[in-house]
Amino acid sequence: MTTTETVHDRIGTAHDDLTTGQLVAVFAFAAALAFTLLFLQEPLAHDSMHNFRHAAGVICH
Amino acid sequence: MLVDYLERGVLAGAIAGIAYGAYMALVANPLIGYMETVADSAESSEHAHGAGEHAHEAGEHAHAAGEHAHAVSEATTAAVSVGSGVLWGILLGGVFALAFYFLEPALPGRGRVKTYVLAGAGFLTVSVAPWLVLPPTTPGAEQAFDPTLRIGIYVGMMAIGGLVAAASIYGYGRVSARSRPLGIAAVAIPIITLVAVTAIAAPTIVEPGTMPVDLVTAFRGLTALSQAALWALVAGCFGWLQSRASPRSAADQRDELLTSP
Repeated sequence: MTTTETVHDRIGTAHDDLTTGQLVAVFAFAAALAFTLLFLQEPLAHDSMHNFRHAAGVICH
Repeated sequence: MLVDYLERGVLAGAIAGIAYGAYMALVANPLIGYMETVADSAESSEHAHGAGEHAHEAGEHAHAAGEHAHAVSEATTAAVSVGSGVLWGILLGGVFALAFYFLEPALPGRGRVKTYVLAGAGFLTVSVAPWLVLPPTTPGAEQAFDPTLRIGIYVGMMAIGGLVAAASIYGYGRVSARSRPLGIAAVAIPIITLVAVTAIAAPTIVEPGTMPVDLVTAFRGLTALSQAALWALVAGCFGWLQSRASPRSAADQRDELLTSP
């Protein structure tokens, strides 16, 4: 039943389905994407995303 | 199963991202282009009048920012910004799906309500909490501190926003069974506390500068609405894909997995 399932069970299910290595890879990839998209300071990439950063409210120049 | 969720999240994010990319192309790019011109003309008039030391410094700062922004052509900026909008949707969708997979049992509500609860928590964490200290920046705005420190503040506020969202959801889960108004109060208290504390204690980091106040307000409102819409669209599409893909609950699948040899 959904009502008795807990967050802990979900972690268990993830372990059944995937190895720890695969889980780490998924999370590392997501973290790397987030970092690159939001905090990349290389001038060309940074400036190209200029309008997007203003529009999304994540600007930091 | 985690991978199924991720797949649906990325697809939902792509749908929402394409909508957000269209918003970037049709609304945000022209608007920001216009605001750059407003900022530039204000800056040049300031230079002409030479109105005091502070204004001069501000003008130089804006000037530097303006030059900095033109390191690539405007067409490139517009195109990459639209693409970034699409990627932003995909990223939020993917992160949303991962979080939803693990947190689904802990979220209040039934079925698709859970997706909207998580989307609200995500919006609070990723955007609203940081904006309380670092409001969306308009072109030509002056900002205190260096970018590294501001990134630190942004990330720190995301962590605080996440904690506040978690506290609200936890509080609601604890008391809502007894009384619904009490549950709503449990949701509201951490959020109101966050808003009050930042309103009182946070320093003003972003000064809109010479930009008309109405334009700044409109821009910030539009930014907040578009981000909220992006989250709502991610949650809506994810819920739709989820219900389409499997009418069975995740728990059933787990039971099946455990009973089968």
